[in-house]
Amino acid sequence: MTQLTTLDLLDPGQKAIVKKVGGDGPIRRRIQEMGVTNGAGIEMVKSSPLGDPIEYKVRGFNLALRKEEARMIEVEI
Amino acid sequence: MSFTVALAGNPNVGKSTIFNALTGSQQHVGNWPGKTVEKKEGRLRFGTEDIFVIDLPGTYSLTAYSIEEIIARDYIVHEHPSAVVVVVDASNLERNLYLVAQIIELKIPVIIALNMADLATSRGMSIDVDELSSRLGGIPIVITIGNRRRGIDDLKETIAQVVLNPRDAELQVEYRGVVSDEILNLEELIRRDEPLTKAYDPHWLAIKLLEADPGIDRALMGSGMGDLVKVADEARCRIEEKTGEEADTIIADQRYSFIGSVIDYVVVRPRETVFTGSDRIDRIVTHKVWGIPIFLLTMWVIFQFTANVSAPYLDWIDVFFNEVVYGWAQSLMVFLGLGGTWFASLVTDGMIAGLGGVLVFIPVLLFLYLALAVLEDSGYMSRAAFVMDRVMRWMGLHGKSFLPMIVGFGCTVPAVYATRTLQNEKDRKLTGFLATFMSCGARLPVYVVFGAAFFGSTSGNLIFAMYLLGIAIALAIGFTLKHTVYKGKPPAPFVMELPPYRLPRGSDVWRHMWMRTKGFVIKAGTVILFTSIVLWFLMAIPAGSNKGTFNNVPAEDSVFGVLSGTIAPLLTPAGFGTWEASGSLITGFVAKEVIVGTMNQIYVQEARDAEPVGEDEVVDPTTFGEDLIISVVGFGEATILTVQEVINIVPRTINIIPGIHIGEVAFFLETGDVEENTSSLQAALVTSFSASAGSVKAGMVAAVAFTVFVLLYVPCMAAVSAMRQEFGSRWMWTQIAFTLALAWVSAVLVFQFGKLLLL
Repeated sequence: MTQLTTLDLLDPGQKAIVKKVGGDGPIRRRIQEMGVTNGAGIEMVKSSPLGDPIEYKVRGFNLALRKEEARMIEVEI
Repeated sequence: MSFTVALAGNPNVGKSTIFNALTGSQQHVGNWPGKTVEKKEGRLRFGTEDIFVIDLPGTYSLTAYSIEEIIARDYIVHEHPSAVVVVVDASNLERNLYLVAQIIELKIPVIIALNMADLATSRGMSIDVDELSSRLGGIPIVITIGNRRRGIDDLKETIAQVVLNPRDAELQVEYRGVVSDEILNLEELIRRDEPLTKAYDPHWLAIKLLEADPGIDRALMGSGMGDLVKVADEARCRIEEKTGEEADTIIADQRYSFIGSVIDYVVVRPRETVFTGSDRIDRIVTHKVWGIPIFLLTMWVIFQFTANVSAPYLDWIDVFFNEVVYGWAQSLMVFLGLGGTWFASLVTDGMIAGLGGVLVFIPVLLFLYLALAVLEDSGYMSRAAFVMDRVMRWMGLHGKSFLPMIVGFGCTVPAVYATRTLQNEKDRKLTGFLATFMSCGARLPVYVVFGAAFFGSTSGNLIFAMYLLGIAIALAIGFTLKHTVYKGKPPAPFVMELPPYRLPRGSDVWRHMWMRTKGFVIKAGTVILFTSIVLWFLMAIPAGSNKGTFNNVPAEDSVFGVLSGTIAPLLTPAGFGTWEASGSLITGFVAKEVIVGTMNQIYVQEARDAEPVGEDEVVDPTTFGEDLIISVVGFGEATILTVQEVINIVPRTINIIPGIHIGEVAFFLETGDVEENTSSLQAALVTSFSASAGSVKAGMVAAVAFTVFVLLYVPCMAAVSAMRQEFGSRWMWTQIAFTLALAWVSAVLVFQFGKLLLL
């Protein structure tokens, strides 16, 4: 069973597939250039000691995003 | 014929190691014209060919999203290098190939340096290099392990082959569907315009137009090609209508899916992701509970390094310069028949004393830059940004602003330049502004001298307090601005790679330390020598014919003394309203490292003048051989003491934990602490500050107020001009006025409240 959610709601170790990258202009493009594109697999690694930003694993490397940016990315789990 | 090759690559892929290995010591470090991003050029010799190598800034893409990307792209587009070597991280092939794909689109011969293949292997990956090369249209690929110099000769050879026998790139990223149609349409249009086709590759330009690349759009509008931009806008609308996605999203998706199709044939990944040593370190370093203490501890160790570990060498250089070199210069003057003349005094008291006061701090900076280089090269710096982002955002900044702030502890000038890594202009300005409150290396000597003079063995507390105060003030200002001036403006995004941890490579760290310290020494050597000479003249010229004669005037009655004296009353509420103190602060405008030099000149000269004439002239002259022995033995002692201090960082760090006390383990030699009290400058400072503040205790408070003033007031001339260059002169003047006011208010508050509390 698949379920749509946003990236910021994943738990540590949870994996998902990117469905849509929202947000505007430069931020969205930067996120996409770092490999968070439609269909990419992404795994939540952990959040920072203060809860935000969050570390993800995507395309074999580790990427940190703030919650508000992660919220703009729709994923399927 | 000469060839130029550009070196490109993502950040953190070991590009600078490859650059160093390729070019050896044949390097030139400067800035990109009109920009403040570091430009490194080198030369590589292959047979009879001389090939210039340009190190482009590290970028993830060429979208002209940040200044680094614009530089890298403009260089490739407009300067047409003979080839581009893209350094690619083998363990992270997908994202790295994204940049490769973009560079290939520029129709430039590309060579891939597949770096860190050992890391990929250790993660259980295997890469079919021949297959990769053929899938990328026959691009030459060289396997390198930069930090072991493996593959460098192969790479040199390949570069030479490619530049000597250039061939057209065969590969194109294939776009599909509507995007492909629109690209063809635009290409068609562009080809009709001959000058445009000459300036840009039509295919590439079409893609950029569909991506709505701001740099390209602006360039075309500027040259009367607004129509083309409009056509592209319409094309983008059509794409969005048909697919429901924006054109740039589809282009990025298709590039990645092209890369994905290549990778599928080339890379064999392990079934299970390997839990690497890097992950293990990361678990601890960014741990929920331990992350922040580890961060603070790291910063503390850096302070230890700069404050204590460098001290023995500092003492050694001090002796070497102020006694040995000073003595030689005097003998030389006598030998030239200039002994006792004003010129001899200018050379020895003006130039050598001033320069010596600066060079003394080379060890401090070397140790500081060592710490920074290790932080950066190991990958911890980005973890620090990850851990600290929440705090930085609290004052309206980005976790990445943390880096310029940390660099600010070394020197404000590179800190201002380091703000370039931030995309948002508001973030850049604010970060640059706040970075000036990070106590830079040049301010440290002032704390060290005052700490030693007034607080003896507890001087470390004063130093640490100054650093903390700077941070606290930056936090407070940032927070205030966020809720007033910048209210309602959205923060910049935080999209950052957390690279794998790596053991920093000794020679890279050393190059880093050396280059930065060299920059400081050159700046110090010119600016400060000049200041010292001007200062000497100002102090030698009497402020009136009845006050004395040239080079024979009490400092107080010199032009400089009178000038400083007029400002002094303003500083009386802060407890240091003397012309000496204000005079030192004036010279500190030029460069803060001059403050101690000036003090050396004026306080010590005063003290010397006060001594009965003739008495200090009869010091036994030492021979050259004796000098040499003193210097060598002193250097050996300093080395032993440094080792001792490094070892003792461990017990001192453990002692931070309340309730635990362990003795310092290493004790080879007595440290210089005992003697330091007798240093002539320190003694003079205690006397002068106690007098101006009213009592010895009040003098201590005034000394603290003075260090607070030094911490906060206008950063040096170089930093201010860096700010003007980056943020404009209005911003610079705001900064100057604000910091002056802030320093004065803070120093007065410290002195007045401190007096109330202590006395």
